[in-house]
Amino acid sequence: MKKIFLILFVIVFLSADGSMAYANSNVPYHTYNYDYWEDIFYTPAAYIPNGSISGTDIGVGFLSNPQDIFVAEDGRLYIADTGNNRIIILDSQLKLERVIDSFDHGGTLDTFNGPSGLYVTQKNEIYIADTNHYRVVALKEDGSLLKIISNPTSEVLEEDFVFAPLKVGVDYADRVYVIAKNMFQGIMAFDNNGNFTGFSGTIRVTISLYEKIWRKLSTKAQRERQVQFIPTEFTGVDLAPDGFIYATNIDADGQQSIRRLNPKGQDVIKMKANGKLSGDLWWRYGMEYSGASRIVDIVYRGNGIYTVIDTTRGRVFTYDHEGNLLYIFGGKGSQKGTFKSPVAVEMKDDQILVLDSHRGEIMFFVATKYGSLINQAVSLRYDGDEASAVKIWEEVLELDSNFELAYVGIGKSYLAAGENKKAMEYLKLGMDREYYSIAFKRYRDDILKDNLGYVLTGIIVLVIVQSIRSVIRKRNQKGVGYDE
Amino acid sequence: MMSKKEKFLYPFYVITHPFDGFYEIRHREKGSVPLALLLILLFGLSFSINRRYAGFIVNYVYTRTVDSRTDIIAVFVAVLLFATANWSITCLLEGEGRFKDIVTVLGYSMLPMVLTYIPATIISWFIAADEEAIYYLLLGISLLYFLVLVLIGIMVIHNFSFGKTLVTLVFTFLALALIIFVILLLISLINQVYLFLESAYTELLLRM
Repeated sequence: MKKIFLILFVIVFLSADGSMAYANSNVPYHTYNYDYWEDIFYTPAAYIPNGSISGTDIGVGFLSNPQDIFVAEDGRLYIADTGNNRIIILDSQLKLERVIDSFDHGGTLDTFNGPSGLYVTQKNEIYIADTNHYRVVALKEDGSLLKIISNPTSEVLEEDFVFAPLKVGVDYADRVYVIAKNMFQGIMAFDNNGNFTGFSGTIRVTISLYEKIWRKLSTKAQRERQVQFIPTEFTGVDLAPDGFIYATNIDADGQQSIRRLNPKGQDVIKMKANGKLSGDLWWRYGMEYSGASRIVDIVYRGNGIYTVIDTTRGRVFTYDHEGNLLYIFGGKGSQKGTFKSPVAVEMKDDQILVLDSHRGEIMFFVATKYGSLINQAVSLRYDGDEASAVKIWEEVLELDSNFELAYVGIGKSYLAAGENKKAMEYLKLGMDREYYSIAFKRYRDDILKDNLGYVLTGIIVLVIVQSIRSVIRKRNQKGVGYDE
Repeated sequence: MMSKKEKFLYPFYVITHPFDGFYEIRHREKGSVPLALLLILLFGLSFSINRRYAGFIVNYVYTRTVDSRTDIIAVFVAVLLFATANWSITCLLEGEGRFKDIVTVLGYSMLPMVLTYIPATIISWFIAADEEAIYYLLLGISLLYFLVLVLIGIMVIHNFSFGKTLVTLVFTFLALALIIFVILLLISLINQVYLFLESAYTELLLRM
């Protein structure tokens, strides 16, 4: 049924496209969000395109199939120019600073072959996933070799396992986390000496009862030709300053594509009640742009906010620490602000950067008033300062009266202020049953307290009247008896 | 012949004395199909009201999508399907009940739900999250009551043993699935015939 609605929706959506004026912006994509009922509502644009830079703009020629970018803490931008086997470093003003295409490896000049992931630590050490050389190369700030991680050996690794790193992340203690090609057991973790220590965030495969029965019934030959139940691959990784790993994976069912791994490698991400954390909630089955969002990269932005990018429809999703979808922007196309093949997302100051590997360009997006208000309010909320967030939530609601999180925010502050009736109103609009119930209980108690006097008086009066009546009746009956 | 008042109060007798009540529906013509239909209608209505107006804390229905007409029609369709399926199975298994008895049993058994759904809805306006149990208990008990009454009713009107009733109920659900399947098949076939005729018609129009 929902599928039919979706199709209908798409038809309406497409037919209305020409005539409906989106007064809020002139962005080349739809900006929408999902409400509690998973219905789409349109929002003002949270981020708008703010130019782009290509290899020629930088002055290094065309980028060839770049696969990763990274913004270091000092504002430097690192680009893994995969096809040209080089790393490009821009300074914080986005001027070319250096190109690394080789390094001194024990006296001989060594080069990269298809570097497709990179990460820069606080000490400006560059970790490069040198995919086709089957190693991770770590360089110091001056470009000299720090260490090389290759050929991990362990009992848990298969004999013929080829270590082809795709993405790399490094935490504050110089532990290295690597997403390797065809490694389904999780993110590979290495200690600061480059020794393989184990897997982080293993995704368990769940086989439904139906599939189990089906497999039992099929012959061996049939079973061999069936889909194998292998866990999904990780696609992107980023590290929060506290050492938690934010990772993305492919989920064709659109359930969970984002994970937050604690130091033990367990997923501790918070999700909303629907249990979905995977970009779009609805999609077409078949034709162009169909299928679940394919989340390929993540950037942790501080205050619990993280942004992921989807290659299926070229959309950028931003969530808060509770898994609330804050805003969606971006899309596929060839206009300014749309992508052909987005592969990496980063954050520089207040701008969101998206790397398009097909175009070899980095797109910049800057927050609108709407977007930055949400960012501010969510950050305040994350810090527990809900009271000062209220003013901002009110401004958000002026721009977008469908934003449920804002209603919840305001409702909670009314609750704290003891205005229970107002709190109920806002919490209901925000579809927060838990806090609504608290507000309702207090409101009910207030009413009871105010009227308890009347109720009790009434009961006492009734009891007295009743007892007087029964006394009179008894006396009358006795009277009758005496008369006889 | 029963008086009007007696007729209207009879469902209350049935839900308190199901064995005697249903027996007399089958053998002494104490039941009334219009009254059963009225009860089904009332249940459909209170079901819909419950979905639409139950308090925010217990109501997980997207209230904007609630349409009383659809709800009531759905209840009637379910009753009709179940009655048909049960009738066709019990006919084969020497059940004594007639179709109208089955409908009457279903309708009269809905009385507990008719009586509790609206009060439960009203109660739901005054309860907070940790008091939901009262509300769900009320709904749950009436549903259970309904199921027990249907079970007894089917047993009594067909003069079945308990075991045989359960077996026929299993068959009833199989028959139900079959009926739905046949209906869907029919719809798709009719659709194809219609499409054929339509294209033949347009073809003719264009040729002429």
